[in-house]
Amino acid sequence: MIRSNRTHLALAVGAAALLAAGCANSGGGGGDAGGGGGDAGGGSPLVIGASVSLTGDFSDSGKAVQRGYQLWADTVNAAGGILGRKVQLTIVDDASSPTQVVTNYQNLINKDHVDLAFGPFSTLLTIPASQVAKRYGYAFLAPAGGGPKVFEQNLDNYFFVQPAPTVQSGDVFVNYVLGLPADQRPKTAAYAELDDPFATPLAENIRTKLEAAGVRTVYKQVYPSETMDMSPVMAAVAAQHPDALIAGTQNEDAYAQIKSLVQLKFSPKFLFQSNGANSPLEFPDKVGAGNTEGIVAPADWYPGSTAAGSADFTAAYIKKYGGDAQSIDDSSAEAYAVGQLVSAVAAKTNKVDNATIIGALHSGVWPTLLGDLSWSANGAPKGEFNLVQWQKGKLLPVYPQKVAQAAPEQPKPGWAG
Amino acid sequence: MHALVQGLILGVLTAGVYALMASGQTLIFGVMRVVNMAQGAMVILGAYLAYQLFVSFGLDPFLATPITTVALFFVGVAVQWVFLRPLHADDRSQLSVLVTFAVALLLEGVMSVVWSTNDRSINTSYANDSWTVLGYQITAVRLWAFLLSLFALGALYLLLNRTRLGRAIRASVQNPESARLLGVEADRVSAIGFGLGTATAAAAGSIYGLLYPFNSGSHYDLISRLLSIVLLGGLGSVGGAAVGALVISVSSAVVAATVSPVWSEMTFFVVLLLVLLVRPRGLFGSTVRGAI
Repeated sequence: MIRSNRTHLALAVGAAALLAAGCANSGGGGGDAGGGGGDAGGGSPLVIGASVSLTGDFSDSGKAVQRGYQLWADTVNAAGGILGRKVQLTIVDDASSPTQVVTNYQNLINKDHVDLAFGPFSTLLTIPASQVAKRYGYAFLAPAGGGPKVFEQNLDNYFFVQPAPTVQSGDVFVNYVLGLPADQRPKTAAYAELDDPFATPLAENIRTKLEAAGVRTVYKQVYPSETMDMSPVMAAVAAQHPDALIAGTQNEDAYAQIKSLVQLKFSPKFLFQSNGANSPLEFPDKVGAGNTEGIVAPADWYPGSTAAGSADFTAAYIKKYGGDAQSIDDSSAEAYAVGQLVSAVAAKTNKVDNATIIGALHSGVWPTLLGDLSWSANGAPKGEFNLVQWQKGKLLPVYPQKVAQAAPEQPKPGWAG
Repeated sequence: MHALVQGLILGVLTAGVYALMASGQTLIFGVMRVVNMAQGAMVILGAYLAYQLFVSFGLDPFLATPITTVALFFVGVAVQWVFLRPLHADDRSQLSVLVTFAVALLLEGVMSVVWSTNDRSINTSYANDSWTVLGYQITAVRLWAFLLSLFALGALYLLLNRTRLGRAIRASVQNPESARLLGVEADRVSAIGFGLGTATAAAAGSIYGLLYPFNSGSHYDLISRLLSIVLLGGLGSVGGAAVGALVISVSSAVVAATVSPVWSEMTFFVVLLLVLLVRPRGLFGSTVRGAI
């Protein structure tokens, strides 16, 4: 009897909770549909909500994103706000969890009634978050969410704020290599790829294109993420003496690959890493500063970039957070670019609401500190990454020509040891 | 062929490090019937301590080993005293899995707060040195690590077989009741045994930090390997742990170099399963107690 009473009570509470949730959803949906927030009200703050991973697996990058958003808000407010409205950020932590991120955006939109919503960190969290934003008609600009699955959703409110979808970030290396005179191009290539939704497709995309251009593949292996020791894999690569090594890497494995290659005394003429080598502080620290020379990687923002607003961003960042340009995580720059786009739309249309932002960004080209951005209907950016190369201890853009600050160093010199 | 031989060399040299970690693991099981899930985390703690001594004082990780082993010896004694001693002897083996796993998570948490979750690596001036012998590369750090492991295992052997303490430990393993009757203090021996086990983790940790980048979460990959090595060698057998380490290290390096890195992890488990099918107690596990 007691048990049955409890069951009934639980059912009743459950039903009530469902009902309440349903009401909240439909109420919020009705109230905010088609805009979320008014036009240029003048005076009332422009409230922007974002869920960011301040704890958990993505917390390092998540905090970098938070710094980027905050820096943009500070900069805009110092100049009088957007269309006279002060920007007010509401940032909540999702602990790197794809379920928490959904709850967070539902709360931001339905409870806090934020005017705009900015994206979280990583493809994993951006997919569910962008669905919530779509349901309530919010424009969704995300600094990190460029995996193929995001674009397969075909959301017209979504904009990935980087130069190109993640998988295509290696295209710039392919274009560089194929632009070289025939006798300088690599004849053979090895591919060592981390089993990862970012690294593998990126390296495979390069392989397809280089093979089509006649570069022979002499080694290709995918290694699991628990591979601690890269030496045997690199020994197999070295035994094939490839001209180029295309490494689909993240972080730890990227450093381990270089250390192993140095120990094995094998230095390929071209060495591309999808990630790891583009980290200005970590990379030389992990592999030894003398062993970075000539290694290339893709990047959107880089220290010393002359793209729109980059100098202001760099100065403001150093003033607020200290360090130097080399210590800025590119995730901060990408987050800052999200804000830049909102400023740009407001300046151009004299309006700052979700429908206007969605409509405006779907046409034309928008300058940011990551370069000029434009998007396909599904939010995939139409541009290209930059190729950066380590030269004398510095990470410099070397390709394409229009951003290059130094000539590419080719072939890659041997290891310092 | 070149990749095969190079893989073989790498595998043999790396085996020393695994043997060191696994000898501590198997010692703890032998003395206390405790499956120590925290051994991997202890190795990483050892690596962080060596890293810190290197970064702050420029102390070479090999020279830092005496300091870190003593430090981790006391950490091990404390863990045994606080977390394991209260467990009843009857169900200590089962409960110890959960308790030591909790210790591993606790250590991981503490390490990520103290050193953040960024990857670390110990970059000494000789970290990437290697010698070319007949066209193959012998990496300096791996060779030193191999020699240090041999030295540490030798010291462990002497301690267990040539000292009073060693006799007390072995007596506790062979027959705890009789040992107690003859005046061996079980609690003290257990604490020292656990401390010795974690001290080997410290020595291995210094080397681990030289060989691989690591972060506070690196212990998960380690512990599954260590348990497999100990199972393969036979629970409680230090010699078995060394042979098990050689098998796992060489097989994974050779397969990764010649077949595929995906199969390298798999090969070892296939070997492990085959051995356990034929010899369920592992290669050197004895049917009677007392085979340290």
